[in-house]
Amino acid sequence: MSSSVVTSGLTKRFGQRLAVDSVDIDLPAGVVSGFVGPNGAGKTTTIQLLLGLCHPTAGTGEVLGRPITDPASYLGRVGALIEAPSFYPTLSGRRNLEVLTRLGRIDSGRISEVLAMVELSDRANDFVRAYSLGMKQRLGVAAALLPDPELCILDEPTNGLDPAGIREMRAVIRGLADRGISVFVSSHLLAEIEAVCDHLVMIDKGRIVFQGGVEGLIDAQQSDIIATPEHPADAAALVALCVAAGRPARVEGDQVHVQAPEEWAPELNRQAMAAGITLRGLTVRRASLEEAFFAITENEPEQSGEDA
Amino acid sequence: MLGAYSSEWVKLRRRAMLLWGLGGGLFFALIATIFTIERAVKNPTLFPLRRGRISFFELEQPTGLVHGVTDISTLIGIVALCLFAGAFATEYSQGTMRNLLVREPRRIQLLSGKFLALVTFIGLAVVLEIVVACAVAFILAPGRGITTSAWTSSTGINDLLQATLHVFLASVGYGMLGAAAGVLLRSPGVAIGAAVAYVVAIEGIVVGAIWSNGDRWLPGQLFSALAHGGTSDSSYHHSLVTVAVYVVLIAAGTLAVFRRRDA
Repeated sequence: MSSSVVTSGLTKRFGQRLAVDSVDIDLPAGVVSGFVGPNGAGKTTTIQLLLGLCHPTAGTGEVLGRPITDPASYLGRVGALIEAPSFYPTLSGRRNLEVLTRLGRIDSGRISEVLAMVELSDRANDFVRAYSLGMKQRLGVAAALLPDPELCILDEPTNGLDPAGIREMRAVIRGLADRGISVFVSSHLLAEIEAVCDHLVMIDKGRIVFQGGVEGLIDAQQSDIIATPEHPADAAALVALCVAAGRPARVEGDQVHVQAPEEWAPELNRQAMAAGITLRGLTVRRASLEEAFFAITENEPEQSGEDA
Repeated sequence: MLGAYSSEWVKLRRRAMLLWGLGGGLFFALIATIFTIERAVKNPTLFPLRRGRISFFELEQPTGLVHGVTDISTLIGIVALCLFAGAFATEYSQGTMRNLLVREPRRIQLLSGKFLALVTFIGLAVVLEIVVACAVAFILAPGRGITTSAWTSSTGINDLLQATLHVFLASVGYGMLGAAAGVLLRSPGVAIGAAVAYVVAIEGIVVGAIWSNGDRWLPGQLFSALAHGGTSDSSYHHSLVTVAVYVVLIAAGTLAVFRRRDA
């Protein structure tokens, strides 16, 4: 699979602060790639480097096969929403997009098309200052779609959105991928990324801590088997049984949480039955992306205090 | 650059820009013309000329038509300075500069196109101000008994065109200073405040208290001299050449900073 973005040792330092530290990224083309990490991890700075908005201190990168030192050679095929959506408040949504179509020599007919895509056609002639945050976010996505991009970079597109707005934004992002557009979407809300992404890049303190398929990451994490004995009094015996089998377990309420892969669930059922414990419930809880993130970052060595 | 030029015009057509950019200069031009004509003194031997007043004789010269406007050319220049500083700094403070740079990453083209659009806007504003000032002057002058025949002579028309050019060139100089402040300081309030304070107060203090010859070399003083077609201290030719050098230097510095700095 070809790559939409490749970086090698990409580094950005602001004075003494190392915001992005030797970042190596390889994003497959044609899929939704998530870029996750806590606030201040270096997501926005990395995106700004990819868009030519700031200059790298060290390292190299390519976007759509062109070097990031020559953003004019690829930005015509890239759409971007950077941090909070920024527009001219005393211009209408349509006029705001006209500023960008004129600047980028984009066919003005695209304005109506992208406004329809983000369902803003009926408010297109209102001043942006009258828009809700959700509408501004959608206008930001519309602006990103103006050049009919091959790659769409969205920085925190669900910031400030209500649950309905977040769901709409997910649908928009999936819609882009369905049309074959590579999407690189950053967020500090991991559950949101988990819902929409195929590929994942995790960043913490300016360094990449994981990149690869979302499923692969979650599968690599330890899952929990949750067993519920018919009689709560059997919980302690069930824990002892698991520990004896080399599976750490603990009681939570009337349930027993066992750290074991999904495949061990039938064995647990058999052993419980052999020990005279009847189970009225046996489920497997897979690790969430958030748990996977913390599992990875907790294992990372501490970096020097100057990091972002 | 044409894309940046065309794009800027969408913003320049905003009501607020028309109100402050065109309306501001128009207001000053109108007031200056009315005051100049209404306060002109017919016989200065009987009524000595006080500050800001001129005689009928001066007004009846070919240059009399735009006397008021050239007198307040510094104010027109300050309007241009504020317009340019605001136009550049607001892109940073609003966060829209990043959007612009994604669509036009060639920074020199972006800055040049934006600047040229603002220069065109200021040019149109100056022409409009002069046209309105002339119309008002022609309406008011007969009522006060001021003869206007010299205004429509070939010399008068030539003087009018030259005055328009001088006020325009001076406004471009003020605008360049404003653009530099906007790009360097990135905040409209700070950029406008600093640039206006420099032109209005700091240069005045420098010339008055430190460097009396500064009115021949400091940019704000030279913009003002150029607007008047030269002064006794700074000839037209000296003002024009020095202002051109300043504009080139300020433009080069601003472009260099804009190109190198992270957005």
